[in-house]
Amino acid sequence: MKVTQMKIGQSGIIKKITAPEPIKSRLFAMGIAKNNRLKLLDHTLKKQTWEIEVEGTRIALRKEEAEGIEVEQ
Amino acid sequence: MKQIRAVMVGQPNVGKSSIINAISGARLHVGNFAGVTVEKKEVTLQKGEYDIDIVDLPGIYSLKAYTPEEHVTKRYLIQEEYDVIINVVDANILQRNLILTLQLLDFRRPMILVVNMVDELEEKGGKIDANMLSTLLGIPVILTSAKEKRGVDEVVDKLIEVYEQKVCECKLYYNEKIEDEIEQLSQILLQSPHFSDPNLARFYVIRLLENDEEIYKIVHDLPIFLELHEALGESIKRLKLEFDADSVSDIFADERNAIARSIVMQVMIQPQKETLTDKIDKILIHPIFGLPIFLFFMWTLFQITFEVGSIPMDYIDETVSNFAAWLKTILPAGDLNSVITDGVVPAVGAVIMFLPNILILFLGINLLEQTGYMARAAFLLDGFMKKFGLQGKAFIPLVSGFGCTVPAYMAARTLKNPKDRLITMLILGFMNCSARLPVYVLFIAAFFPTTSAGNVLFTIYVGGAILGLIVAKILRTILFKGEPEPFVMEMPPYRFPSIKVLAMELWIKAKLFIKKAGTFIAGAAMIIWFLSSYPVNEQLQSQYEQKIVQAHSEAQKVLLQNELAARNLEYSYLGQIGKTIEPIFAPLGFDWRLSVATISGLAAKEVVVSTLATLYAVGEADERSDTLISKLRENIDFKTAIALIIIIMIYSPCVAAMSTFYAEVPQWAWRAFYTIYPNVLAWLVAFGAYHLLKILGY
Repeated sequence: MKVTQMKIGQSGIIKKITAPEPIKSRLFAMGIAKNNRLKLLDHTLKKQTWEIEVEGTRIALRKEEAEGIEVEQ
Repeated sequence: MKQIRAVMVGQPNVGKSSIINAISGARLHVGNFAGVTVEKKEVTLQKGEYDIDIVDLPGIYSLKAYTPEEHVTKRYLIQEEYDVIINVVDANILQRNLILTLQLLDFRRPMILVVNMVDELEEKGGKIDANMLSTLLGIPVILTSAKEKRGVDEVVDKLIEVYEQKVCECKLYYNEKIEDEIEQLSQILLQSPHFSDPNLARFYVIRLLENDEEIYKIVHDLPIFLELHEALGESIKRLKLEFDADSVSDIFADERNAIARSIVMQVMIQPQKETLTDKIDKILIHPIFGLPIFLFFMWTLFQITFEVGSIPMDYIDETVSNFAAWLKTILPAGDLNSVITDGVVPAVGAVIMFLPNILILFLGINLLEQTGYMARAAFLLDGFMKKFGLQGKAFIPLVSGFGCTVPAYMAARTLKNPKDRLITMLILGFMNCSARLPVYVLFIAAFFPTTSAGNVLFTIYVGGAILGLIVAKILRTILFKGEPEPFVMEMPPYRFPSIKVLAMELWIKAKLFIKKAGTFIAGAAMIIWFLSSYPVNEQLQSQYEQKIVQAHSEAQKVLLQNELAARNLEYSYLGQIGKTIEPIFAPLGFDWRLSVATISGLAAKEVVVSTLATLYAVGEADERSDTLISKLRENIDFKTAIALIIIIMIYSPCVAAMSTFYAEVPQWAWRAFYTIYPNVLAWLVAFGAYHLLKILGY
């Protein structure tokens, strides 16, 4: 399931990350990597910006980047 | 005395600045890294027989550098001479921070790990076993809290210890299959006579496997490059097949993440409590209340900056002009007197004038950044700003632009992505600064009925902002077409700001502003003064002085004096320039007076009013002067007035602002573009409006 399909408060394990460079490296550097636990914290009214928590770090992403992260419950 | 050079490296928001600040007996030096507008902090201290020098490198998330700051750090780590790496990490997010630590360990250089903010972790019921962590990584580990000054001085002791050992006992290895490939490729590199250090060879090979362009450039000139290149290709192919991955970067990322995870599992007891951050975030980034709260904060910041800031500004202005007047009386009359009292002193005053605004605005921005609120603001606004090719954080410099463009350009530093920063800075001038208000007030009073004055002013301000956003969108699509614009931003936990760090940051900002932009601004102010005062027409001068002596009444005397001032300005270089470029402005209905006034607006926007007053021989007048208003009505028609307002809205900001832009943007191509395009755009829009009104019969 994509991050953008999750409900607020839901969490899961990251299975796959699809993004072009340099975004992919950025995501890794923020701790968004395979097998880490991800929790969806919030999104804005129009679902343009998303906030997730991965291993203790809160990260804001745009819809485009959030769509590239797949998690499994 | 022995010299130790150390570098401090860490991800953003780990509290490096507070550690630097907390080291006892350290002296701070501030400057810029060569060739870039990235601040460089350096401390020196003495301990026993050691002279220690620590360079605080800008925060870096990973060796895959992305922002200008990160490139500076990476380049420094690879190219400069230093003895020890001090890696600072945040205890609360150890796992993510360790990924950078692992990349740094690839250097295999003497290194210590400083685990900061451990007090926060312990407060929440977490714990880190420093001995275990040290054993696993093979480097000394110190738990610190800069806030409680705990463990900070131990950093210096360990630094000396590691320096004396000279070697890194790092025991970390990647998966066997990866290590095999690294070993094979290292052997090729070591065949080259330039290479004798197996640790460096290992580091280069790892970076090359990760497709690091900077290292590629370094090895590209080696004689064994061809052989290496071929072997590298083979290795990458094998690894990709073996691990079923898209790139070797991915393999390393997964490897490092797995190592970091397992280390954290062994050394750390995770905290359990719901943090304060969760609770605050429920309010501050609330889908409905979040935005109004933010707007309230912005309004407050803006009010304080420009309302409170104007108090010392007026005071400085008064002091400077009093000082100049006093100097005028004690220095012998003549050119030198004029150079100092009309040229140098006001020029220096112009620089100091901006300081209160800059300091207050930066205090506010630093508070927003240090408390962690800045990231929330960006989160709330990104959706809206993205539509115009801008980023959420751009909102703050843009709003500051309504006060003064100079601090706004500096505020754009909060944007880390160079493209986002550049686009924001390129459109900042469209946010009408407060110095343009007198010009608008004058022209609105002269050409619009009092009842609609407020609406016209509002239209000007909103129109400027909308134009800016449209231009931003155009710049993004044309200049940076098709390039990805990632927005992946850490939302740091809310923290109480440290007064010491705030003070240090402010001091750095003030110093850098005076040193860089200050010299530009003073120089430009001098040039404008010179252009408007020289050459002096002696004949005209004496002719008028005679007339003034012979005048019958006081009123006539004033009239003659005003006329002289007008003729003098007309004769000056500025007047001559205005007349030369009159043909350019002629299609907008401008006469030479308006042309000169427009040019003089480059000195400072409010100068347009005083220049017009001088040129229409009204003497000293402000925007509410009835004489000046009636003079304007006599000489200018409605459509010309509109064209002028449009020119003031769009064309280049004042030299102080332009100087700040030049100081912030080192590339000549962008400086040139910035200098030209607003003027072209201003002329085109004004031309369009003028002729449209003409067709409509105004």
